[in-house]
Amino acid sequence: MDTPTLLAHLETHDTPLTLPRGGTLRWDDADLHRAAHTDDPEGYALLGLAPGVRPWQRARVLLQVLNASQAGLDQATRAVLHRTARVLTLGLPPAHVITVLLGLRRLRANHKHTTRIALRFVLEHPGADALIAARRPALVDCFEHALGTATARGCARRIADGDTASDYLQRRLLRFLTRPHAAPARIRALYDAGTGGAAAPPGPALALDTARDRPPTVTATNRGDIAATLVHLYRGGPSESLYEALGRYVDAAAAAFPRFDGTVALVLDASASMRGYGTREWAVLSQAAALRMVLSQVCARLEVVEVGGDERAPRGATDLAMGVLDALGTGPDLVAVVTDGYENLFPGDLARVAATLPRAGVTTPVVLCHALFTGSDDLALRRPAPSLPQRGFWHQDDFAELLPWMLGHCAAGAPWLRAALRARLDDLDRRADALAPGLAA
Amino acid sequence: MTALDTLVPGPLSLAGHRLGTPQQAGALTMVPISGPAHPGFVPPRTGLKLSRVVGYGQVELTNGAPSGVAIVPLHIGYIQDHAQNHALCRSAFLAAGQTLRFDDACCVQESQGGYLTGGDQWFFVLPAELRARALELRGVHGYSKLWADIAELNARYGLPRRGHLEQILSRQRPVLTQFQSRLELQPGQVGALFFLAGRFAGLEIAPDPAYFAEMWAALVCFAYGAAAWHAEPEPPPAVPYDAAGLAGLRGALDRDRSGRIAEIAGWLADAPAGPVDVQEEDRYLDLRLSTVTGPHLAGQIVTGGDRTVYASLFAR
Repeated sequence: MDTPTLLAHLETHDTPLTLPRGGTLRWDDADLHRAAHTDDPEGYALLGLAPGVRPWQRARVLLQVLNASQAGLDQATRAVLHRTARVLTLGLPPAHVITVLLGLRRLRANHKHTTRIALRFVLEHPGADALIAARRPALVDCFEHALGTATARGCARRIADGDTASDYLQRRLLRFLTRPHAAPARIRALYDAGTGGAAAPPGPALALDTARDRPPTVTATNRGDIAATLVHLYRGGPSESLYEALGRYVDAAAAAFPRFDGTVALVLDASASMRGYGTREWAVLSQAAALRMVLSQVCARLEVVEVGGDERAPRGATDLAMGVLDALGTGPDLVAVVTDGYENLFPGDLARVAATLPRAGVTTPVVLCHALFTGSDDLALRRPAPSLPQRGFWHQDDFAELLPWMLGHCAAGAPWLRAALRARLDDLDRRADALAPGLAA
Repeated sequence: MTALDTLVPGPLSLAGHRLGTPQQAGALTMVPISGPAHPGFVPPRTGLKLSRVVGYGQVELTNGAPSGVAIVPLHIGYIQDHAQNHALCRSAFLAAGQTLRFDDACCVQESQGGYLTGGDQWFFVLPAELRARALELRGVHGYSKLWADIAELNARYGLPRRGHLEQILSRQRPVLTQFQSRLELQPGQVGALFFLAGRFAGLEIAPDPAYFAEMWAALVCFAYGAAAWHAEPEPPPAVPYDAAGLAGLRGALDRDRSGRIAEIAGWLADAPAGPVDVQEEDRYLDLRLSTVTGPHLAGQIVTGGDRTVYASLFAR
């Protein structure tokens, strides 16, 4: 599985899955998902939870996980796949999940793990009652596909006749559920033709990505606590309390990530333009320095190569090309270039060096982290090496997506990424449990 | 610095000035110049203030500093919303606290009324293409005297043929102001050589680094950046070096850079040179402000004894 390529795809390709009436499921990147799942089912599923993955891509991951057989997988992997699927059914817009479940019907996916997830979505989703009221026919289709039409209708008939716990219901339906006592009423609602016309289904029950408050006006000091504190230090504020706070903020930010047991070489652009001027003075450099500080705690070894001046005295021209060569000389697992993108000496050199690396036998990945003032900077004149993987960041909250993206580019980052995503799955699982007590995975 | 001496023979002694490593941004190449700092000069942004526009074509500047003489940068201009933007045709000296009225200023915004006021100012330096004509018009009264040349330049840039410099400067300000980051000011830098598409375009020298730093944006973004942006080349393809291993790649990069620096030195050596006419215009104690005119370049310089304190010279 080419993790960086797949992750970039998951974060950018947001076309919907569609089910044309009477046609086949339209799934334009099915081969990519199928191949990634075959290669590493657990890693693939976890990647669907990475911060920043688009909702329709998460729907595809859910579809692939539920469509594929689990034959030959060990119990631990099956558990991760199940938990991931459960989190996705709660974290996606219900309409996306319904599309996935109807797609599985078209694909005739009849695995037990598919049945379990589908039934729990239809009958145990925190918004199940509202969903049934709004999407009853679709959910009936999902329910009947999960159990088989005859069995589903047999269950519904028995429930209509007052059966709630017979052996028949237990073996065919209730054993798949975590809250079987709630199922009969919802199945009656599913087959009650008198309901319908309710409001559209509610949004996701579980927030997979942290909602971010975007300030109406971006300033030098509303880009996260680390950068704000650094700006005051750069401006020459009272240093003791600021340094103390800085340590706390960096510790807290770094604690969100597992330890990376490799070496990152950071080429830090400390040229005059990184300092900026006017109301934006220090804004970009402070964000870059914040990243350096967090990485210094996350990485077992961080080599910093400053170009131009230094972090406290940014000055002079940007020589990214020589910086990258110096960084490669430290023998890292990954080179990360952090820059505002203005390459002064000479423009195009970094691109040529990047183009030469494979030919020169250098396989160490090099990524470019664009230090931005806001998320919408005009980068037309700020792309020093278009062939390098690049990602922008302007706020401390961006680190949650930036670090998995960065470290996912190197082999040493694979276990780190898996550990980070497992921790994320654990956290999402806990939050999912809190949505409905007793609705444990 | 031999090449600089041949570029401007005679009065412009640049002894002690040194050329640094060139930087490039598209069509614009800048060679930083470091050199001796001359104390006692008021920088143009923090010390020199536009006090008012008396009438169209009449601009008053004040040296608001408590001490030190201000050298008014050649072809400086001011822009404000809802006011007729103005630029000066010449440099001048202003003693501390002195206010000077320039009656030979140009309006650079044909159909905008209103006078510039003392607040909310940002300044520019006239685009390189207009500087020779503006220098010729020093001492000529007539607020509209540069409109035809501005209109012609606008037309060359594919803009409406009007005497509005704002079509070039203000409307493209976000992209032009990027030149101050695309080219980075060096510590201790007091001047720069500018080349446009491989041809000598200008030589700028300031009394000290603080003065030059305050001129940086006006020079790189507007005086030379506007022309460079209109000549912006496509980024060159990233052709790999023929190199094996990291050391080989470093060597290839070094050799390539040496070649390009030598090429830029060749541009300077190839710059037209020859005798120039030097006409004194103003004096302040032992400082002399002179206009330099030759077939290949023009501009104004300030000398103090045998020292060059200020120069703003551009290719004709």
